[in-house]
Amino acid sequence: MSLFSLLSVSSSGMSAQRARAEMLVENLANAETTRTPEGGPYRRKDAVFESAPAEGPFSSIFESQLGGPDGVRVAQVTVDDREPERRYLPGHPDADKDGYVAFPRINPAEDMVDLMGASRSYQANVAAISAVKDMIQRSIDLLR
Amino acid sequence: MLDPLAGKLEHYMDLLSARQKQVASNIANADTPGYKTRDIDFQAEFNSAIAGLTPNAVEVRDLPVHNDGNNVNLDREARLLSENALRFSIATNLLRDQIRSVKMAIEEGKSS
Repeated sequence: MSLFSLLSVSSSGMSAQRARAEMLVENLANAETTRTPEGGPYRRKDAVFESAPAEGPFSSIFESQLGGPDGVRVAQVTVDDREPERRYLPGHPDADKDGYVAFPRINPAEDMVDLMGASRSYQANVAAISAVKDMIQRSIDLLR
Repeated sequence: MLDPLAGKLEHYMDLLSARQKQVASNIANADTPGYKTRDIDFQAEFNSAIAGLTPNAVEVRDLPVHNDGNNVNLDREARLLSENALRFSIATNLLRDQIRSVKMAIEEGKSS
């Protein structure tokens, strides 16, 4: 068990939060997208996290055999399956025969709040890394 | 050569890094549904660390649980994060003093 393995725990948190933030900005960017490769309007994505052994660059298997600390990873990406929002826009090229266009059901406020949460959690992980870095540095100073 | 206090300081630092590991893990899992905060019972584990046992993490009880079943309180973790780093710094400073006095004894012996 070494202080260095703590760095991979926090970095797993950082990459999970980064992946979540990526999905949230994708949602915001696609709030008005009516065409996707799968057909139909864009659907909101969100990340579900699960705790998982932190994967360090070295000897991580040995660490996890010893019941090492848990990092985090994105377990699945949930796709919103609610009915799309229908707006009456008869001139729109994607309008159906009644003149309605299916728009993604995205509430920008919801995504902004989640984005703030993701960014704060990212910062918390960065703070953990800098505290651990300080401890490592102090151990190194013992050798001087 | 170093006095018994140095051995205890070493256990103390080991235990602090084990605790810091739990804190880092709690922070990383702050948004994991169903994750429960884990910590180390410092006093009890310090006594067993001197006896040569590895520390066990236990779930922290009586923390308010969020809607997703997660009970990580970031304020608590932030406090522990800095507390552990400061305690670690105290321990390294004490240990360095001990090492310095041994070093001094060696070097003074050399010059005569």
